[in-house]
Amino acid sequence: MPRRAAITLTSSHGYGPSWLHLVREPVENLRQLGRRAVLALLGIAVGCMAVVALLNIGHNAEREAMNVFKGMGSDLLVANVQIPGSGRSEALPNVATLDTAALRQAIPDITAAAPLILTSSDARLKGHALSTTILGSNADLPGVLDLQLAQGRFLSQFDTHSTHAVLGANVAAAWENAGIHAQPGDRIQIGGYLFQVIGILQPAGQNPLLPAPPDDAILLPLEGMRRIIPSPQITSVLARNPNGATLVQTSPALQQWVEGRMPGYEVNVQIPRLLLEGMAKQSRLFSWLLAGLGSIALLVGGIGVMNVMVMNVAERRREIGVRMALGARPRDIARLFLLEAVVLAATGALAGAAVGLIMAWAFVHYSGWSAFSFSAAALPLGIGSAIATGLFFGLSPAMAAARLTPVQALRDA
Amino acid sequence: MQRVHDTDLIRLENITHAYATGASSQAVLYDVSFSVPTGQSCAIVGASGSGKSTLLNLIGLLDEPTSGRVLLAGEDMTNADAESRAIARNRIIGFVFQSFNLLPRLDALDNVALPLLYRGIPQPQARQAALTQLERVGLSNRSHHRPADMSGGQRQRVAIARALVGEPSLLLADEPTGNLDSQTAQDIIGLLLSLNRERGTTLVVVTHDTGIADRMARCIQVRDGRIEEAGHA
Ligand SMILES: Nc1ncnc2c1ncn2[C@@H]1O[C@H](COP(=O)(O)OP(=O)(O)OP(=O)(O)O)[C@@H](O)[C@H]1O
Ligand SMILES: [Mg+2]
Repeated sequence: MPRRAAITLTSSHGYGPSWLHLVREPVENLRQLGRRAVLALLGIAVGCMAVVALLNIGHNAEREAMNVFKGMGSDLLVANVQIPGSGRSEALPNVATLDTAALRQAIPDITAAAPLILTSSDARLKGHALSTTILGSNADLPGVLDLQLAQGRFLSQFDTHSTHAVLGANVAAAWENAGIHAQPGDRIQIGGYLFQVIGILQPAGQNPLLPAPPDDAILLPLEGMRRIIPSPQITSVLARNPNGATLVQTSPALQQWVEGRMPGYEVNVQIPRLLLEGMAKQSRLFSWLLAGLGSIALLVGGIGVMNVMVMNVAERRREIGVRMALGARPRDIARLFLLEAVVLAATGALAGAAVGLIMAWAFVHYSGWSAFSFSAAALPLGIGSAIATGLFFGLSPAMAAARLTPVQALRDA
Repeated sequence: MQRVHDTDLIRLENITHAYATGASSQAVLYDVSFSVPTGQSCAIVGASGSGKSTLLNLIGLLDEPTSGRVLLAGEDMTNADAESRAIARNRIIGFVFQSFNLLPRLDALDNVALPLLYRGIPQPQARQAALTQLERVGLSNRSHHRPADMSGGQRQRVAIARALVGEPSLLLADEPTGNLDSQTAQDIIGLLLSLNRERGTTLVVVTHDTGIADRMARCIQVRDGRIEEAGHA
């Protein structure tokens, strides 16, 4: 008999507690650890909450910023024309027309171009006056800005000398609010002239790069602006280049062309797409910065876990000794305490993630932003880093416990 | 790995043990050799501080001797690593401590089942076996009590059930009755001796009580770090 026993005495095949038991035991132990576990858990929870909430808020802030700029076509170029600040402004002749056909010929990548003349004036419909922006442009404008008509038609190249007008969505809505229904065929008075409404636009949204939102404007033919202001002056040229590859190269060409037609003026071309990309980048950077803040909170939580685990190991030294006497190997002891740290961190992480999500949702909700959008990276990142923190800070106490010899552990402290 | 004297469950050869105390070290056991054959019951007696617990810890693979060899069931455990020693403790040794050493968070049943869980036995079977052992020590109706809710004698019986659950060939008890009144102490020793008689479990008991020592088949006296066979009074 002893010979048989000797053969299997120290074989480790199949030895060691089952995984089920390995996981159940730390959960049970932590439940009995009570308030101290809750405190360590709180540290991790706050860290994880910060990571999840800040990443989600950052993500939604980015989306919100993108939404504001969504109206800007990704293939748009905006050339702004300015009087140079050197004081010779008086000498510069006003330019009120541009040959956009020539522009398209000069830069074939540009498929549509629309110069803008801008002023503000009162407009009167059925006796009700409204102070609005008057925007002079050409027939290409809907194509350049993706404007859609709600009613009627847009200005065509045959309208250049007619007294036709198209209403922006908000202008029509403003009159509607005043009890006056505007529709194609109505006559509105702007300055000393009567214009006939031929169309009403659908809302087009915001575009901060435009000198004025088309929604808030009454659109007239470029040439018709002379009826409202004595010396109209083109302030912007909008152009569209659907070829994304040459969008950036088109910019200096457009600048040169406009400078050539408007000598003496200062022209600079902005590309909304580049601006958009820059903003997205900046906003992502901001998100990561916030997440970094969360990581610091996590680090503090991790130190809390380490503190609890060091105390835990010290207080349960005798238990460690008993377990060793009963057959726990060093790795069984290490696993026991490591898993306790991980369970602690994971519980904190889950609670923190839930609170973080609620906080982010509430923030987005009360900021009046559009619907909450869930950041896919936030949850795995927040929970993962919280658990990794627990693992990292639990490692050293667990190893210290495993390194005890049975007699050391069993001896009265 | 060399095997000798198959009939000896325990064999100590020229054991010397010293505890490191600061810079110096204090020798506790000097050149101790003895063996215990399978199935024997053996008392270890001696004055306080003479080295009885030290000796038992070396037999039980809880500590390593400074020099000398320890053989259990014919296998030389002297240079075994911590993992092999743990496995050997689990497979062949059952411990009974003076202070019971039950885990306070676990109820009686789970305390008794613990050695089997480390052996890799699934919890339902381990609990079933634990219940059988609790019945044997007369505590099946206390299986869901925590140690704190039990008397000293009951706790020690739970501890004995835990020592027995793995069907060990060796029971090591360090003053198992030191915290019990004399009647309970007699019951506990009776229980240990009946196991020794009925199942042939080798029994080594450290005790101060000559009455208990007399009930063992053999008595070893530790004096100034050396041992001598003591005849029964
Ligand atoms: N970990 C230790 N470090 C230093 N010295 C120790 C250690 N453990 C025990 N000793 C010393 O070794 C000697 C023997 O101790 P041991 O515990 O073996 O005695 P014992 O015979 O069991 O005594 P008791 O009957 O009081 O339990 C004592 O002098 C003790 O002070
Ligand atoms: Mg002792």
